[in-house]
Amino acid sequence: MFFKWFPFNFVELSTMARYPFISAAKEWVKNEKATIEEILFDDIYERARGRGAERVMQAVIAGFIKDIPLLSEIDCVMEIFSYPVARMIVVASGSEYVIRRYALAEAKRAYENLKNESINFIEKMADEFGMRINGNRMYFVDYLRYAPTWDIKWKLVNRELKKGEVVLEKHEIARLLQEAIRKKIYNELTYMYPPPEIKKVFGDVIDEIKSRVSFREKENKIEEVDARLFPPCIKNLVSATKSGMNVPHVGRFTLVTFLNAVGMSVEEILKIFSSSPDFNAEKTRYQIEHITGKISGTNYTPPKCDTIRTWGLCFPDDICRRVKHPLSYYRLKRRRK
Amino acid sequence: MNFLRKKFMEYYSNPSIEFPARFDRREYAFILFGEGGMRRHISFLSRDDLLSYLRKNSPAHVYYSSAYYRHPDAGTMREKEWMGADLIFDLDADHIPNAIQMSYEEMLLEVKKELEKLLSFLMEDFGFEKRHIRLYFSGGRGYHCHVSHPDVIPLGSQERREIVDYVTARGLNFKGIVKEKSIPKEYFSDKTLEINPKRGGWSGRIARGIIEFLREVKKMEREKAIKKLMELDGIGEKTASSLYDFLTEERIRRIEDGKIDQSTEFKRIAIPLIKKLSVSMQSSTDEPVTGDIKRLIRLPGSLHGKTGLRVTNVDVDNLHEFNPLRDAVVFGENGIKVVVEKPLSIEMMENKFKIERGVREVPEYLAVFLVARGFATA
Ligand code: SF4
Repeated sequence: MFFKWFPFNFVELSTMARYPFISAAKEWVKNEKATIEEILFDDIYERARGRGAERVMQAVIAGFIKDIPLLSEIDCVMEIFSYPVARMIVVASGSEYVIRRYALAEAKRAYENLKNESINFIEKMADEFGMRINGNRMYFVDYLRYAPTWDIKWKLVNRELKKGEVVLEKHEIARLLQEAIRKKIYNELTYMYPPPEIKKVFGDVIDEIKSRVSFREKENKIEEVDARLFPPCIKNLVSATKSGMNVPHVGRFTLVTFLNAVGMSVEEILKIFSSSPDFNAEKTRYQIEHITGKISGTNYTPPKCDTIRTWGLCFPDDICRRVKHPLSYYRLKRRRK
Repeated sequence: MNFLRKKFMEYYSNPSIEFPARFDRREYAFILFGEGGMRRHISFLSRDDLLSYLRKNSPAHVYYSSAYYRHPDAGTMREKEWMGADLIFDLDADHIPNAIQMSYEEMLLEVKKELEKLLSFLMEDFGFEKRHIRLYFSGGRGYHCHVSHPDVIPLGSQERREIVDYVTARGLNFKGIVKEKSIPKEYFSDKTLEINPKRGGWSGRIARGIIEFLREVKKMEREKAIKKLMELDGIGEKTASSLYDFLTEERIRRIEDGKIDQSTEFKRIAIPLIKKLSVSMQSSTDEPVTGDIKRLIRLPGSLHGKTGLRVTNVDVDNLHEFNPLRDAVVFGENGIKVVVEKPLSIEMMENKFKIERGVREVPEYLAVFLVARGFATA
């Protein structure tokens, strides 16, 4: 044991309760030697099961998991156990959408806590995820791995980079950790199988989640979008993307914000990107959800013509002379139709 | 036999090839003399196999993949199974404005300046050390810079693109980098741009650029200084001259302390000045190529079929002294008769040549160069 490097050397229960995905928490659960049967059926774990179901429901419905008061040791223990319970439920739902949404909600919850922790604590957490940080500076390779660089303020060029290290604010490091946490949870869940007994205990919860999800997916249906009315810049980006050309970030950003603004669903936007050679469904979806405000909370609007022009992505036609924004182009043409 | 091919064959009978790391994981590709297409998807298990291929075929162009693969000889990317790639910057005269009007030597000097900028980015900003950076003269119109730090090898194309965008200043957000601050005055407020030359990243680079530029302008005679200022986007003579008068010693000192008062004409030129400065700092690194994680690159030690010069390693510390028309030459001095079709002046092996049309006897190295470049026939 002495030789194994634990980022968190003396991890308190309350820490594990707030960050139940860290390896120390996993280790701790293992050492408790509770069997899956016990966790699923024993009265002792009643509260953990209730909280586990709650985690998933909140994640699916609100996209966020609320903290609960952790006043006693037993509160913490139940909270820690509720995490593996929640994971079993998520996997048992068999829905990719639920897995994604849950992973994101857990990660967001971690972020909300992390940004108020000391820099020292954040450093340890970063270590857990193999991120090399040094005070408030992060190794640029790790930065690039997790930063949402399609957002202009996260682009490396707009960062203070010195000797291989990116200078960051504490909450920004926490934000990058959020992404690392999300990825880790998502990856673990995609490779997990639910124990067969889970349906006996959580059958109702799982059904409920499934019905919520199908309702959600229906909600995404929208009115017809007429691609023939798109301005030339957007048409160009659509065909470049479809033919698998390497479209720069700003181009992707323009395209996604535009398509979102005219009412395309994430699924539909995803379809356009799916023919790209380095298409990574999960990553692209994440980018789209970020840009459309599902994750970031900011609903980005498409850039103005001036901006698009400076990026060299503008190919104006006659109608363009009358507009300053690609969306006005679309609306103008639509009205004419 | 074709003159060039014969010369190349002589070279390849005993070439000095620099074999890439993970030699057998790379894809190799060749263009042979007299063949249009490229022979691709070739891999070699041993160095000797590659050498005997070169000896047998004496190709006009030799490439290897920056990426390494599980199955480098497979025909499709999917079957190849990408394992990682060196980060490669391709600096080429194509990206230099006015390159067409320059001589070969001038062109290469311009590219070298870009390379020096790139190096400063890689070492100061990205923190790479010399041992991770290798420079090569491409044998043609530029230089290649290979970064083989273990952490960059697994990077995907998006991450590589971020690195390229960084060195080319693409997507740079001036407003976010150079902060504007309001200072309340008696009846109204005024704005100051805050710069800090000591900061890292682009904000520090821009700050140092501004200070240097203004110092330079200040040192000039009035007329010259105004001309220099008018080179900036959107600056007319009037603005330029009042700006010049504005630049008192005192003001320069304030700027060096990081405060650019915007109360005067400066306000109107601050942004174009910054813009102009950052553009002049841009490295014209060939971006689609660097972002590409599966590109082909010339094999160090091979010959470039369009010049006969060797792809040659350049010591980072000796970049300044490196002279491609001396250090990348592999052929000898024996006189060879060629028919010159286009006259040309050139300095090669530290000899100046002024070559007129007609049958001429020139040293072998020059003969190869002239024939390869299409200035003469053998
Ligand atoms: S003018 Fe505007 S709408 Fe038209 S192509 Fe350019 S950016 Fe697009």
